[in-house]
Amino acid sequence: MTTLLLRLGAPLQSWGTGSRFVRRNTDRAPSRSGVLGLLAAAKGLRRTDPLEELLGLRIGVRVDQVGSLERDFQTARTRDGKNAMPLSYRFYLADAVFAVAIEGDEALLVGLRDALRAPVFPLYLGRRSCPPAGKLLHDLADGTVAERLAGTPWMASPWVQERHRHADVTLDTVVDCTEDEPGVELVQDEPISFDPRHRRYGWRSVRHRPVTIANPAYKPALPDPASDPHCPMAAFEGLA
Amino acid sequence: MHLTRFEINPARRAARAMLASPQKIHGAVMAAFPGSLPTAEDGRVLWRVDRHQHRVLLYLVSPHRPDLTHLVEQVGWPTTSGWDTRDYGALLDTLDVGQQWAFRLRANPAQSRRKDATSTKSQRFGHVTVSQQTQWLLDRAERHGFVVPHGEQDEPDVAVRDRDLSTFARQGRDVTLATAVFEGILRITDPVALRAALINGIGPAKGYGCGLLTLAPVRRA
Repeated sequence: MTTLLLRLGAPLQSWGTGSRFVRRNTDRAPSRSGVLGLLAAAKGLRRTDPLEELLGLRIGVRVDQVGSLERDFQTARTRDGKNAMPLSYRFYLADAVFAVAIEGDEALLVGLRDALRAPVFPLYLGRRSCPPAGKLLHDLADGTVAERLAGTPWMASPWVQERHRHADVTLDTVVDCTEDEPGVELVQDEPISFDPRHRRYGWRSVRHRPVTIANPAYKPALPDPASDPHCPMAAFEGLA
Repeated sequence: MHLTRFEINPARRAARAMLASPQKIHGAVMAAFPGSLPTAEDGRVLWRVDRHQHRVLLYLVSPHRPDLTHLVEQVGWPTTSGWDTRDYGALLDTLDVGQQWAFRLRANPAQSRRKDATSTKSQRFGHVTVSQQTQWLLDRAERHGFVVPHGEQDEPDVAVRDRDLSTFARQGRDVTLATAVFEGILRITDPVALRAALINGIGPAKGYGCGLLTLAPVRRA
């Protein structure tokens, strides 16, 4: 199978799957509906257009940089300032980075890659106010979602990698799976229609699984500072 | 000959009292040899205290195997560590011309001269500047069977650190010593002379933690 790899990183992202009314939550990882929406926007699909060709894609997400949760208390008013809109809480992920693997038919993925290079509609990470930062599109290569997520180098910011003082790092992944696997989790995150008059989402089963990869910024620790560099006892090494 | 390493627990009151006076360490070290005190033909006992960060190590070169039980009990870690004694002869026999070693020496660089023109006796005066102290060591290197090769800056590969002018009591009178620690690289020119220097020490104040030269493998960073 062929897999397209994206890096979703931005000052703010927001991936809501279960938000209702004035409290707009975010998940801690990109949602399938959000990623498919991003691809649909790149291809120039309108909200009322059918999504069928995208629904066959398998999507896996790796949390490369957890980020932090930000809450925005919004007091919007109408343009003339006379009427207040409903007070609302909007939640964002700040400074998070995700690796997203999209597995599917090669011809379709080639088309998506070209569309992402020249998107028809602006791309954003879950919410209009969250444009992607840095390199979004990585590569198109062979392999399944699980293989790509386990084999891709860590994409976290350099300062995060340097602060992680271990040779390897264990990252959480969220991958589509069948309903009967152990540890499965159901989320209402399968987009059926983005039509603004009647958005519909089906249920989707995902599984969290940790992967361990190398930390490129790891430097082996210096020798113990408490041990004296001049050690006469070391001269006896190799003697009977 | 034996080389011994013993770790002092500097958090103990007795250890601090002992480390304050080379006279006290000298007494404790000499008490490590059962029976009669070593005589001149046995060779002498040399010791040195190395401090690195929070660790304090006592090195000992002696003709007989020391018994440091009293030190472990009073200033060491009685339940976790004892001391480490090696057969120094085995190492000394492998020394050969041309070998390079890292060395460390705490010494009392001094010169003997009359205090002024009217003095009838000459006295020892300690060298106190880095250049005097370095020159003191380089002047003696050849006699002790080694040379200090020149390093990258075309200067002798030796550093002087922990220069100290210490005063301590000895039998009711004060002893003042100017000491310095020399660290660097040496190349052996005369193994016999170097062996003698390693066993018998270099320079004065050998009873007070000076003169013990130790060798370690050269480690380049």
